Amino acid sequence: MERPAPVAVPLGQAEVFQALQRLHMTVFSQSVSPCGKFLAAGNNYGQIAIFSLSAALSSEAKEESKKPVVTFQAHDGPVYSMVSTDRHLLSAGDGEVKAWLWAEILKKGCKEMWRRQPPYRTSLEVPEINALLLVPKENSLILAGGDCQLHTMDLETGTFTRALRGHTDYIHCLALRERSPEVLSGGEDGAVRLWDLRTAKEAQTIEVYKHEECSRPHNGRWIGCLATDSDWMVCGGGPALTLWHLRSSTPTTIFPIRAPQKHVTFYQDLVLTAAGNSCRVDVFTNLGYRAFSLSF
Amino acid sequence: MSSESSKKRKPKVIRSDGAPAEGKRNRSDTEQEGKYYSEEAEVDLRDPGRDYELYKYTCQELQRLMAEIQDLKSRGGKDVAIEIEERRIQSCVHFMTLKKLNRLAHIRLKKGRDQTHEAKQKVDAYHLQLQNLLYEVMHLQKEITKCLEFKSKHEEIDLVSLEEFYKEAPPDISKAEVTMGDPHQQTLARLDWELEQRKRLAEKYRECLSNKEKILKEIEVKKEYLSSLQPRLNSIMQASLPVQEYLFMPFDQAHKQYETARHLPPPLYVLFVQATAYGQACDKTLSVAIEGSVDEAKALFKPPDDSQDDESDSDAEEEQTTKRRRPTLGVQLDDKRKEMLKRHPLSVMVDLKCKDESVLHLTFYYLMNLNILTVKAKVTTATELITPISAGDLLSPDSVLSCLYPGDHGKKTPNPANQYQFDKVGILTLRDYVLDLGHPYLWVQKLGGLHFPKEQPQHTVIADHSLSASHMETTMKLLKTRVQSRLALHKQFASLEHGIVPVTSDCQYLFPAKVVSRLVKWVTVAHEDYMELHFTKDIVEAGLAGDTNLYYMALIERGTAKLQAAVVLNPGYSSIPPIFQLCLNWKGEKTNSNDDNIRAMESEVNVCYKELCGPRPGHQLLTNQLQRLCVLLDVYLETESHDDSVEGPKEFPQEKMCLRLFRGPSRMKPFKYNHPQGFFSHR
Repeated sequence: MERPAPVAVPLGQAEVFQALQRLHMTVFSQSVSPCGKFLAAGNNYGQIAIFSLSAALSSEAKEESKKPVVTFQAHDGPVYSMVSTDRHLLSAGDGEVKAWLWAEILKKGCKEMWRRQPPYRTSLEVPEINALLLVPKENSLILAGGDCQLHTMDLETGTFTRALRGHTDYIHCLALRERSPEVLSGGEDGAVRLWDLRTAKEAQTIEVYKHEECSRPHNGRWIGCLATDSDWMVCGGGPALTLWHLRSSTPTTIFPIRAPQKHVTFYQDLVLTAAGNSCRVDVFTNLGYRAFSLSF
Repeated sequence: MSSESSKKRKPKVIRSDGAPAEGKRNRSDTEQEGKYYSEEAEVDLRDPGRDYELYKYTCQELQRLMAEIQDLKSRGGKDVAIEIEERRIQSCVHFMTLKKLNRLAHIRLKKGRDQTHEAKQKVDAYHLQLQNLLYEVMHLQKEITKCLEFKSKHEEIDLVSLEEFYKEAPPDISKAEVTMGDPHQQTLARLDWELEQRKRLAEKYRECLSNKEKILKEIEVKKEYLSSLQPRLNSIMQASLPVQEYLFMPFDQAHKQYETARHLPPPLYVLFVQATAYGQACDKTLSVAIEGSVDEAKALFKPPDDSQDDESDSDAEEEQTTKRRRPTLGVQLDDKRKEMLKRHPLSVMVDLKCKDESVLHLTFYYLMNLNILTVKAKVTTATELITPISAGDLLSPDSVLSCLYPGDHGKKTPNPANQYQFDKVGILTLRDYVLDLGHPYLWVQKLGGLHFPKEQPQHTVIADHSLSASHMETTMKLLKTRVQSRLALHKQFASLEHGIVPVTSDCQYLFPAKVVSRLVKWVTVAHEDYMELHFTKDIVEAGLAGDTNLYYMALIERGTAKLQAAVVLNPGYSSIPPIFQLCLNWKGEKTNSNDDNIRAMESEVNVCYKELCGPRPGHQLLTNQLQRLCVLLDVYLETESHDDSVEGPKEFPQEKMCLRLFRGPSRMKPFKYNHPQGFFSHR
């Protein structure tokens, strides 16, 4: 891969600082607008940038089309997760969830429509929100993060209806099992828990690290990513990426990837997964072999 | 006349009839004279028609008698003679009638003629009168038109408008009642007023002229007075010299310096003037002096034509001498190069004293043929400095002023026209000569008022005072900060080389009380070596590792863990922060490409540097960053999760107080130190 030659431009204090910021920036979350033309991305400095997908992907795209249309400071801390409803962009990071109107977001000086903070128990440190999940049937939002609980918020009234407790360490990721409305959550404590939304109780627990086939103690036991297809579930992180059959809670296939996985999703018959530390997006079939990899 | 004409005519008439003329005439004359008998009156009484009938009858009778006579004569006989006599007497009577008739006719004719004549004369007279009158009429008409066309001079004068006139004119001139109705009077009044005004203005004009004369005279007098003042002041100055020396106020010295300054080339002169002014007005620690030989400068200073001649002369001389000596081309080129790079014999010395008694000596030179200024710098300190090995480049004259403004490295000539001159004599770049000639920094050109615009290269660039003045203050302040930061670094390096990170007491609050990791090594690294390191590729790609920066390597150790930190020190320290790239060797090699926590540690010192600046002017930045790295290494090692599969205790027990060990999807360690509570949390 060719690397661009270093640019010899006289750099003042502002330019150096900007360059350093960009070197140390991490994009944690992204979300596509309901119309499909824009992509919102949130980074570790708490900024949200809106990119125009139609301009960047068009045949006449120039360098400027790949730069954000607008960037604004959304949160004080990192923006760990974002999700889009049909009218709003919801972003969450440092303990609060804020909503932005997609129609207004391109204007300068956009302000959030509302912000809510789930009721936390501790007051010393504000826990972060790592995952947001929309439950369309109930028109509610589920937040999960640093305080080890899942909070449900009703999108119409903005009140927090339930708090599901059970995890012993903070929660990394959420997935929705549509048929029986159940939520899966994976956390730092190494367990994947299934919650029934109607009874608000824990239905099932899978402690991944206890299974020898998939555990990798040198990486830790944390579950970084979850995806579910109603009967099946894929999870990974510290332990290896594994495909589980939910009814029997047994691991069926272990995918042979070394690095801890950060993102995974089901796509039709395939499983797409990406790790934070490599430049590849691996595509697997359900049968467990790697079909191909998309590489940067 | 009429009688004469009748006399003339009568004989003709009579002769044509053939009758005896003179005898009858005589008788008619006497008849006329003897009697007071007016035939004229008779004419009026008789009727011309009857006279004409009578004439015709008489003629007939005559003809008859003549015929009878004729007959009788032709018949002959005795009584014929009596009858002829009778007839002859009758015809004589008839002849007398004819004569009377003739006379009457003549008289009538004469009368007729006289009457006609009279009438004609009257008509002529009238005709003449008519002509005279017509002629007069014509004459009068001409006169009238002339009069009507007459333009009086008064109409050419621009009079003031009616309203103004009525407003301004005094009532005795305007006489409104009279003039309103009568335009003739009105015009007269207006003309009067005009005359008045003109008289007044003429008066004023005369007065002003006389004033002006007076004032001119006064000016003359004062000028004389002032010119006589100069020699008096000179004598006072001379007399005051001993007093000046006694009071330590060297006005004369300043004066002499200004005298010398007159021989400076324009950019140096601008620099001198602006620097002196700035020193006097704003900054007492700045002192300016002129060095060099004034005589040489005077020898150089000639009008442009002469100097061109001089050059050509010297060229010609050179050629001659070279022909005689036959030297190599190299020597010839060398001489040309030396000529091109020649310096003006005078130079300006500026000394900047800093708070800690260290002095920055700047010497400014002017390269005449290239029209640029260069500077040589030297830093002297109050006490002698022992230079640590790594601090070699910090205060070296070559690099101490490098990049005072971003990008101003001073290795290239700022004047684009110089390139063509260089090509002629085979000089590639000025970089080879900077050690000798001084650095041609852009700010030096600006202080000398020289501006070389890139877009439109100008033929001759002249020194501009306002450009110099606008840059003076900022540049002097930057120079002082530069010297002080370099001296601070100098001291810090001495300590770093001994393995001690010198944290001042007012920065202690940034770090926890106990820091176990230690700085073990601090060395300089060459630019090429830095580029070769495998963990510095990001910085190199971002263009932050140019050749004007200084590079160092620090090694921090704790137990078996070794942390290498490659440091890029920008000449603009401390406003531009040093940049660190880390590589940790502990249970494998971890860099920012394979461990997010290493990346977070780099972010803590590179991006969050503002909290580490310490008190102004921020010279503690580097040492604080190094100390923070030690703290971060401590946190990293102590919070590393214990691997259950490996036996034995943790190498580094957790001593730091942390609220949570991991946070966020990237599972960051708590690197942020909270003061004064003393625990670690996440950003």
